[in-house]
Amino acid sequence: MNEDMEEDGSPLFPRWSYWYALVIGFLLALIGFFYFLTNYFA
Amino acid sequence: MSRPDWIVLILTLLAIIAYGLYKSRTTRDLDGYFLGNRTLPWYIVLMSIMGTQASAVTFLSAPGQAYTDGMRFVQYYFGLPLAMVVLCITFVPVFHRLKIYTAYEFLENRFDIKTRALTSFLFLLQRGLSTGISIAAPSIILSSLLGWDITLTNIFMGGLLIIYTVTGGAKAVAYTQQLQLIVIFAGMFMAGYMVVHRLPAQVGFLDALHIGGQAGKMNIITTGFRGGAATGSKGGFDWNDKYNLLSGVIGGFFLALSYFGTDQSQVGRYLTARSMTESRLGLLMNGLVKVPMQFLILLLGILVFSFYQFNREPVFFNKTQINLLEKSRYKDSLLIVNREYDAAETLKIQERNWLAANEGLKGQTAYREAEDRLRQAETRRVWARTSIKRWLNDKEVGGDNNDTNYIFLRFVMDFLPRGLIGLLIAAIFLASWGSIAAALNSLSSCTIVDFHKRFSKKELTGIQEYKLSRMYTLFWGIFCVGVAQLAYNIGNSLIEAVNLLGSLFYGVILGIFLVAFYRKKIGGTAVFVSAVIVEAFVILLNILNNKGIVHLSFLWFNVVGAAGVVILSELIGTVSGRRTGPETVR
Repeated sequence: MNEDMEEDGSPLFPRWSYWYALVIGFLLALIGFFYFLTNYFA
Repeated sequence: MSRPDWIVLILTLLAIIAYGLYKSRTTRDLDGYFLGNRTLPWYIVLMSIMGTQASAVTFLSAPGQAYTDGMRFVQYYFGLPLAMVVLCITFVPVFHRLKIYTAYEFLENRFDIKTRALTSFLFLLQRGLSTGISIAAPSIILSSLLGWDITLTNIFMGGLLIIYTVTGGAKAVAYTQQLQLIVIFAGMFMAGYMVVHRLPAQVGFLDALHIGGQAGKMNIITTGFRGGAATGSKGGFDWNDKYNLLSGVIGGFFLALSYFGTDQSQVGRYLTARSMTESRLGLLMNGLVKVPMQFLILLLGILVFSFYQFNREPVFFNKTQINLLEKSRYKDSLLIVNREYDAAETLKIQERNWLAANEGLKGQTAYREAEDRLRQAETRRVWARTSIKRWLNDKEVGGDNNDTNYIFLRFVMDFLPRGLIGLLIAAIFLASWGSIAAALNSLSSCTIVDFHKRFSKKELTGIQEYKLSRMYTLFWGIFCVGVAQLAYNIGNSLIEAVNLLGSLFYGVILGIFLVAFYRKKIGGTAVFVSAVIVEAFVILLNILNNKGIVHLSFLWFNVVGAAGVVILSELIGTVSGRRTGPETVR
């Protein structure tokens, strides 16, 4: 149980909000990049 | 196929089976067989998750999808990264703390036995049938293109992997998936390189994308909103449009949450991790790599499309269907259409080459005239293809007028060098094996843990459970190959059937889990009754959709199913007044 409690935090970052920020930022960057490609090659 | 191709194909498949057997050593109990003794590092878990999701159809269908419909299919995966974070916070810790074998064990802990049994049954039904169809779909494509016997192809596609799946369980599945993905990516990368390499000297990678873009294939981001009055069409959001930003983010989020959180074929993969952190890392990394990976696979379709602008494109990629027409009353018309198509193709290739060599003349009269001739050739080509598709749709012919899934493999067979063809055929088999092996492992774990062990009065020893698990894996393997044989006789559109089957059940299963996690006061009976009613409603919705009474893309069934169970169980719980489940876990 103690092992589980120690593990309960977010991996690599101190809090889960960092993961939310990373994933949403990554997705927005991808969508932005794809939007650019859509227009550039249209 | 040539001899070098056969050698590459056979050696690759034998190597995977040998590697699977080599990695088969586990303790002879359920923990060893279904969870690999929970010893795997995050990167093996990641590869296993990816290998389970990406089936043969993914690699056959996605380039063809981009070829015909453009890149917009990539939006289907936009909800996945966020779903991975939600899963890691909500589902994964509960599954790990309870030390469960199947996701549905948790439901008995939270609700009651009937809810667990119902959910596990829905999973077995959906996964058993869709695995069978997943074997049939690539088998039909390969047997049609290579002239192989369908029964033998089915056995090779869905049967050979049983050797290491039965012997080694989850550990063998995970390690072979790692090797399978390496072969698949190597094959796809080499195919991509060869397409660019075979383009005319004056046409580079970016030029190829420009050609795709001019044909409307680089439609990576689409909003799903129709033009409105200005374009003469009815405006507003198109709910029947499968792939757009909104359906990708919202529908894709629910689909990914239900697939990775409640489908035992995926849950069983990340429960093999040596710790909760390793499970979470595997899932989170999957969230980061999935969209770019899918984008690259689709891009291959755009490159193949550009390649065919400078080379003769078959009038229809599935030759078997042309053979059908040659034996039908359309055979004389087919000759005329073929002649027209050949002339249009010659003109297209001639004009394309001229335009590529004379980029500097852009805007001048000669350039514009060449563009006009290209458009004329395109109109004639489209006319020829439309005629063929219309004839194939004729009940008397009974053909399949969709050749999307044949495009990539037909290109491979016609234009790639010896050896590489064998490698790509092997990649198709391995992609199939990866997802089927995980499915068989999960079907077996649910059968023994959720039903046999739970309802049998006889106490079993660890070794007896292990032997029984192997028997169930073998049984499901044979069952799925049998379904594949029947699916072949049923007819076409098997890939759509797989997607639809998933969407019919995933939403309801996800709804049950959402209530379990977020509505702690709702009891088992309320959620059980809601699940039965909403499942019936989703099936009815699909029937109405097929009859054209409602117009809803299958992706939205996930949202309807999940939201329906949450809302209805809340209502039933409130009305009945009995809101407390037997035990809450959080």
